[in-house]
Amino acid sequence: MKRRPVLVSLLAPLLALGSPAIAADKILTVGAAVFPDSLRSGTSSFASLSLMTQTNDLLVARDNKGDLHPALALRWETIDPLTMRFHLRQGVKFSDGVEFTADDVAFTINRVLDPAVAYAQAARISQVEKAVAVDKYTVDVKTKAVFPTLVRGLSDIIMEPKHYYEKVGPEKVAAHPIGTGPFIFKEWVPGDHYTLTANKDYWGGAPKFDRLIIRTIPDGSTRIASLVTGESQIIEEVPIDLIDQVNSSGSAKVDSISTTVGLVLTFDPTIKPFDNPKVREAFDYAIDKPLILKQILKGQGALLDGQVLTKGALGWNPDLKARPFDPAKAKQMLQDAGFDFSTPVPITTQNGKYVSDTDICNAVAGMLNKIGVKATVNIVEGGVFQQMSNARKWGPMHMVGWYNLGDADFAAVWYTQAGLRTRWADPEYDKLFVAARSTNDTAEREKIYHQMMAILNQQNPSIFLFGLPSLYGVSKDVTGFGAAADKLLRLTEVQLK
Amino acid sequence: MIAGYILRRLAFLPLTLLLVAFATFIVLRLTGNPVDIFLDINRTPEQVEALTKRLHLDQPLPVQFLIFLGDLLHGDFGESLQFTGSAAVVVWERVGATLQLAGTALALAVVLGVLGGLICAVWRDRAADAVISSIAIAGQSMPSFWLGLLLIEFFALQLRWLPTSGYGDLKHLVLPAVTLATILLPNFVLITRTAILELMGEQFVVTGRSKGMSRPRVLVTHILPNAINPVLSFLGIQLGHLMAGSIITETIFAWPGVGRLLINSISHRDVPVVEAAVFFIATAIALANLLVDVLQMLIDPRIRRA
Repeated sequence: MKRRPVLVSLLAPLLALGSPAIAADKILTVGAAVFPDSLRSGTSSFASLSLMTQTNDLLVARDNKGDLHPALALRWETIDPLTMRFHLRQGVKFSDGVEFTADDVAFTINRVLDPAVAYAQAARISQVEKAVAVDKYTVDVKTKAVFPTLVRGLSDIIMEPKHYYEKVGPEKVAAHPIGTGPFIFKEWVPGDHYTLTANKDYWGGAPKFDRLIIRTIPDGSTRIASLVTGESQIIEEVPIDLIDQVNSSGSAKVDSISTTVGLVLTFDPTIKPFDNPKVREAFDYAIDKPLILKQILKGQGALLDGQVLTKGALGWNPDLKARPFDPAKAKQMLQDAGFDFSTPVPITTQNGKYVSDTDICNAVAGMLNKIGVKATVNIVEGGVFQQMSNARKWGPMHMVGWYNLGDADFAAVWYTQAGLRTRWADPEYDKLFVAARSTNDTAEREKIYHQMMAILNQQNPSIFLFGLPSLYGVSKDVTGFGAAADKLLRLTEVQLK
Repeated sequence: MIAGYILRRLAFLPLTLLLVAFATFIVLRLTGNPVDIFLDINRTPEQVEALTKRLHLDQPLPVQFLIFLGDLLHGDFGESLQFTGSAAVVVWERVGATLQLAGTALALAVVLGVLGGLICAVWRDRAADAVISSIAIAGQSMPSFWLGLLLIEFFALQLRWLPTSGYGDLKHLVLPAVTLATILLPNFVLITRTAILELMGEQFVVTGRSKGMSRPRVLVTHILPNAINPVLSFLGIQLGHLMAGSIITETIFAWPGVGRLLINSISHRDVPVVEAAVFFIATAIALANLLVDVLQMLIDPRIRRA
């Protein structure tokens, strides 16, 4: 009996070590599925952009649905076909107190365009020649050619401080970014978490909580457990088969939105018999897409309407519909086309790149097996898939997702010869693509994209499957948060109970 | 005598590490051109050229290896492709977390394993033996990711005693350490049990007992020191296992260690980081094995003479 207090007193400090500190600060913790490797700007991942936009604003911002809104630029106008003028918000300050001006915008855009910087999103504004500061609050962006997607392209480019780059250099900027955004950098622990504090002077209104912690939790089940226990209040990427677990927990709900990612199965028409459009069309009839949507995607996301664009994107063609499921017709068409049913048809896919990618491929292969096609699933690792893509050798069919960010241009490009992402080639389609890129007239562009979508629908370079969902788990203590189609965290309106 | 042995073993260490470096180098080159994998299709010819130069891929393979070795001697693995900064620093930042996790798990496995094995052996074929042995065998057959999720479900979700995941104070360490320890623990129980049972029939034990020594005394002074050796040699062999297990454990519990870094870097073909991480793990295992051998020599004079 006498020994017990000794044991307790020995253990007490250990236990105290583990008890959470009581703080008056309101802290929002987000459980992230994908966590970038550094805070360097211009890496190609959305996860990285999502973190960067907490500290740094855009000229033109997207909302959760993908619509554009003025941010650091209040308005913009076309001066001549090759010049767009941006009028900046005045009195905005970086978190170190220095005023944000046209010099910062010109510096940022010109830096993005510098090949030596290797800025991944440079492709979004590839037609830009340079940016010039006209006066303190006016910037002209000059383009090499007519460039209809300039404003949308800029919605992926964060504005960075010129004076800070000149003072400390890009390495130090990446180690401790400074911006005009709603949050201020506090601590970055690679592979673990990112801590930020609220910017009380934010031009768009101060965030309604004090501290933001974005933690990486790579495993889906663990992520949900952290949400249900209240360790995190928002989690990204709820695994589709675990939606019920979140909704039935009583402490959190799933919030979802359709992304602009169109999931497709692309053919290689240089491999026989997939040069025959009838064979490709027959495959399309053989797949019961609504069933896969219901069973595997649990009704989340949407059926693509026989085109790569998701509903609502500029250029989406309302006259097109997905082909109905008709296995008898599919089999008949294949027989008519002289299809050799002993041909092995491997479907190449990555595992975990897209929601339920492997499961969907397995279901597709099963449906093709039902009409006698020897389809199999070939799962490859991400690096290998990248290599296949660079060589454009994926085998007869492969699964890929193309996002359009709300404008046909971004997705339609991958079916052009210049896009280098498909072996399918159609001179008419390529001509239309160039025509759409050469005008700033939105109505005219829309008309051209409708034609292009009709060509894709007739030719079936891909089987168009689903618009993928973006699923977040949100605690009942949180209000003002919405699932984002582009997977960027927008937290200025979030309130904690 | 022992000092001489350690020196001889240390002399072989560079050879071991050279082989590891060679194997890592060859495997990374065999699985495809890292430039093709790291840069996507939007790459410009300038980017390809710059990265090819940076990784010395424009040189013949033997020259590449020599350059790699030369840099290695200076502790330089090159700059990480995806992180900012040197690959060695990127790996070093994660070493603490992995050592903490692996060290705790190992200590748990050894202490509890030896204790469990001891109980099983002393109360052989009694209830305690049956219970502990069955748990050990069940634990051995349970995949660690499954166990990890079960532990989260029970201790974090149901009881709310421990956090689900993450890196931080002692509480955060408990579940991942237990999960990782469970990979090794059952084997330690079974090996200790067998070792002690074998020793119980030995001449010196019977002599000790017939001299009138009590059972516990024989156990502590004669049996346990002799039983330590098989446990130690098993420990040496299992260190690789421990590292492999930590990769899974680190992923489930969002633990920012070298294992998760390694997997992530392999899929991005961040060659400098992969090389640095493998080299670190190999060095750690080689040194730990050396330590195990030295300990065995200190404990068992027979090995010293051999």
